[in-house]
Amino acid sequence: MAAVRQDVISLPSLDPDPGCIAYFDTETTGLSGGAGTYIFAAAVATPIGPGLRVAQFFLPEPGMESAFLHALREELEPADGLATFNGGSFDLPILRTRWVMSRMPGDFTHGPHVDLLTLVRALYRHRLENCTLRYVEQRVLGYERDDPLPSALVPDAYFGYLRAGSHEFLEAALEHNRLDVISLVHLHSRLLRRLDGADVDMDADDWLALGRHRWRRGARADGWRALRNATSYARGEAAATAGLLISRRLIRRGAIVAADRLLDWLESKAQADMRVSLARARLLEWRRRDPRSALAVVEAAQRRMPEQAPQLAHRRERLRRKATPRRSGAQAQLEAPI
Amino acid sequence: MSVGAYFDPSEYPGDITLDHVIPAAPANFTTFPSDLRPELAAALQRRGIEQLYSHQAEAYAAVRSGRHLVVVTPTASGKTLCYNLPVLQRLLENPERRALYVYPTKALAQDQLAELGALKSGLPIEVRVDTYDGDTPPGRRTAIREGGHIVMTNPDMLHTGLLPHHTRWRRLFSSLEFVVIDELHTYRGLFGSQVANVIRRLKRICAFYGSRPTFICASATIRNPRELARRLLEEDDVALVDRSGAPRGERRLIFYNPPLVNRELGVRRSSMLEARRIAAPWIRGGIQTIVFCRSRLQVEVMLSYLRQDLAPRLDASKRVRGYRAGYLPLHRREIEAGLRDGQITGVVSTNALELGIDIGTLQRAVLVGYPGTIASTWQQLGRAGRRSGSIGVFVASSSPLDQFIVRHPEYFLGTDPEEGLIDPDNLLLLAGHLQAGLFELPFMDGERLGAADVRELLQVFEEDGSATHSAGRWFWSRQAFPAEEVHLRRILADNVVIIDTSQPRPQVIGEMDQFTAPVLLHEEAVYLHEGAQYHVDRLDWDEKKAYVRPVEVDYYTDALASVSVQVLETFASAEGDGLSRSHGEVKITSLASMFKKIRFHTHENIGAGPIHLPEQTLHTTGYWITVDPALWASLGRESLDHPMEAGLQGMAHSLRHVASLRLMCDPRDLGSVAEVRSITTQLPTVTVFEVYPGGVGFASRLYELHRDLLNDASALVRDCPCAAGCPSCVGPLHLVEGAKEACLKLLSASALPV
Repeated sequence: MAAVRQDVISLPSLDPDPGCIAYFDTETTGLSGGAGTYIFAAAVATPIGPGLRVAQFFLPEPGMESAFLHALREELEPADGLATFNGGSFDLPILRTRWVMSRMPGDFTHGPHVDLLTLVRALYRHRLENCTLRYVEQRVLGYERDDPLPSALVPDAYFGYLRAGSHEFLEAALEHNRLDVISLVHLHSRLLRRLDGADVDMDADDWLALGRHRWRRGARADGWRALRNATSYARGEAAATAGLLISRRLIRRGAIVAADRLLDWLESKAQADMRVSLARARLLEWRRRDPRSALAVVEAAQRRMPEQAPQLAHRRERLRRKATPRRSGAQAQLEAPI
Repeated sequence: MSVGAYFDPSEYPGDITLDHVIPAAPANFTTFPSDLRPELAAALQRRGIEQLYSHQAEAYAAVRSGRHLVVVTPTASGKTLCYNLPVLQRLLENPERRALYVYPTKALAQDQLAELGALKSGLPIEVRVDTYDGDTPPGRRTAIREGGHIVMTNPDMLHTGLLPHHTRWRRLFSSLEFVVIDELHTYRGLFGSQVANVIRRLKRICAFYGSRPTFICASATIRNPRELARRLLEEDDVALVDRSGAPRGERRLIFYNPPLVNRELGVRRSSMLEARRIAAPWIRGGIQTIVFCRSRLQVEVMLSYLRQDLAPRLDASKRVRGYRAGYLPLHRREIEAGLRDGQITGVVSTNALELGIDIGTLQRAVLVGYPGTIASTWQQLGRAGRRSGSIGVFVASSSPLDQFIVRHPEYFLGTDPEEGLIDPDNLLLLAGHLQAGLFELPFMDGERLGAADVRELLQVFEEDGSATHSAGRWFWSRQAFPAEEVHLRRILADNVVIIDTSQPRPQVIGEMDQFTAPVLLHEEAVYLHEGAQYHVDRLDWDEKKAYVRPVEVDYYTDALASVSVQVLETFASAEGDGLSRSHGEVKITSLASMFKKIRFHTHENIGAGPIHLPEQTLHTTGYWITVDPALWASLGRESLDHPMEAGLQGMAHSLRHVASLRLMCDPRDLGSVAEVRSITTQLPTVTVFEVYPGGVGFASRLYELHRDLLNDASALVRDCPCAAGCPSCVGPLHLVEGAKEACLKLLSASALPV
């Protein structure tokens, strides 16, 4: 069994093009982590011009690990960055462990890393029942592949080879590894397109997920735009959630009137979303100091959503008291805390 | 002195078997060591420590000279400073160094964290001390791995959390200079054997990272602290510091045996009620008293008794507090503070707390029942200690162990505390830890696990696919995470769990090995747990669960199990004149077929039933005594059939109990069988065996202790005040005429040295 295999395959042009990134995936002897789990195969895919260079590394026996790790590092080093699927919590920590176990000089270092699983979770979780690579390929890339060897049996394929020299399942495991990294290249491009908001078939949930993710990563303007897009769908929970996020930010900025207008509009569209009515009532009561309008919102909401009415009872009572002018002490009432 | 300050024997109807005064001892101080860093000396002074006790200075000197160390001094003698001092000194010299502290429980690590925190806060450098256990939040773990100077953990976490993931702990292991093992005496028997293997693995990992830590152990009094440390650490050069320089007030020790209620059955007045009578007046009189009970349930009951006795006081529930493992540290701190400022006068605790938790010193200690070892007894009695005029009272229950101890105070006072025995090379244990070790680091050809030769085991692993040989090394080659398959505190995964269904939420009250379970937990059995009766409603053998509920009935059940012993291999044997001893590998077969219900007092047989459970076999090690045929005949085998057989059974029963005492193990770790005609020896034979498959080395030790065991067992039976044998001495023999006499004849049959 050869320790290294290299191949260049053609690659359809990617839009956008991620650049010189090493796509990296490992096959290990177990999933538990710890010092006794080792990497027996790794694949690295690097786009070069119109093609994709795929290098595969194999550990013919455990005693040859340092040579294996050396070769792997040679392949990873020139790349500008590293992309993996769940590498942040699996492949890279194991690689670091192997580094120590094989007494490799220094620590294992690499360029900037992007974990595609994290991105998939942020952008697609609402569409996927699970986030395994196999499932993501099907649902996000629209690509189905026959897997002759379920992932759970991969370690045994290697142990079978070690014990009996049996290649049968091992070849399948290595092929599995190869196809995984090729998928990562396509997945990354697809994710970049979505991050740019350039995907065609996005609905309110997609925009909401994108907006949240961009906002969290500090890309405020992009996040804002995505949330607006989600809100513009008007109907449905996602649109309301996005609208609420925007209104909260407007309020924080002091743009009370704009927030009020947005909530008013949302409420008229999303008739049965208690969160919107509640936000609006809160805004009217505390920010606009208008208990009368707030009371109207609450009472209307109670009529529209009778099964949720009791949770508004307390608020309604308070608003009623506030809305009825009193002969004395009315002034003090206005000084209620915000 | 206020009311009840004295213990007046005439007020109590039972027997005072010991009233012993231990004279006061002055403090033996020395100055701070000359090389002690001034900032550390200043921190000590800020804590009010101007001088060291002599043992602290000795310990410091030993560690500084690079020797491994075991410190054995009484409770509250400043033991923790023995290791904290050299460790902090070293950290001041070089903040890059690291220390690992291992405590047997999480709670103890938490307590020591607080204790060390107070001392280190006075130092100019920041010493980062953390506990790392199952409760450590994931967010803190990375910081502790990278930056903790002193990491406090427990053996279980070391075994499954640190060692298998050692690459993440590279920082700690590569600079590890000290490993502190506190409460060394808890690492005996089976648990100790497991921990010894964990230490072997720890040393392998340290060697991988190029460190060679000094081990500092601290222990309560046991007979062989240095030997236990040597065996546990597999190090020859272990210094021993065992002379305490801490001052001691005059102490009075009293052993109290409650009066007999039923002489025939050996039943005595409840030790709980007697303890209450003793403790209540003290607490009422404002004398700080701690009562140790044997279970959580007993703690709760005692607590309510003592509060009732304070009833007219509105603050009764504040003045008497429970204090047991499982309480949150904050709660415990509050109780400790209450004790210091005198708000609390009574504390009721389980003996789990023997483990050096600092609740200050009290004037009185009452022990309800024997805590199981002399070491714990001293620790608990030592709770009342530093001030002069303190009293410790041990109130015996009716159990054979308690009765032996209370009737033989000389055993207790003699310089003969238990010894800590371990056998890390037990094959079953070794195999489990070898797999874990293999996972952690490949084995080189010819490498050992500690002192154990593991070549053959590795070959076995290769055959079953767990290991692969490559380039002169052995690699782990399975997906499994082997450390998770080894539980340090229990060897058998399939113990029968005992579940009390009377509570709204069923509660596990105990467990039992599956070898013994058919005899004691069969359906309709009356199972005794912590002195209470439980009826076994259902035994689900496949699920290994016994469903029980508390009852109060006037009978007990006794299952008839035909137990036979087959000797597989004899390791050693010695001929005596009448009783010959041997030890070796045995196969025990047990089949429980029926049980009888027997009424208390009258011993009438009031019912019986069948038991349908599979035959149990156990491969283990045993120690057996055979009776010379001539002796057997001369003792009246021919004329009186039954008594001799009953005597043999009594011998088995009493030997098992005294053996557990000598070995410092739980009586349930041992089993015993009497056979009138053994299939192997063809002679009347008594076998004491280990209930753990493969054994952990008790049998060979019993073989060595043969003479002492016979003497102890004779004493137990002879001194029992029962008329003709009772459950406290010869065991449940259903009143066979002459059983006690026959048993004594047998036990003393080989009067000459063997």
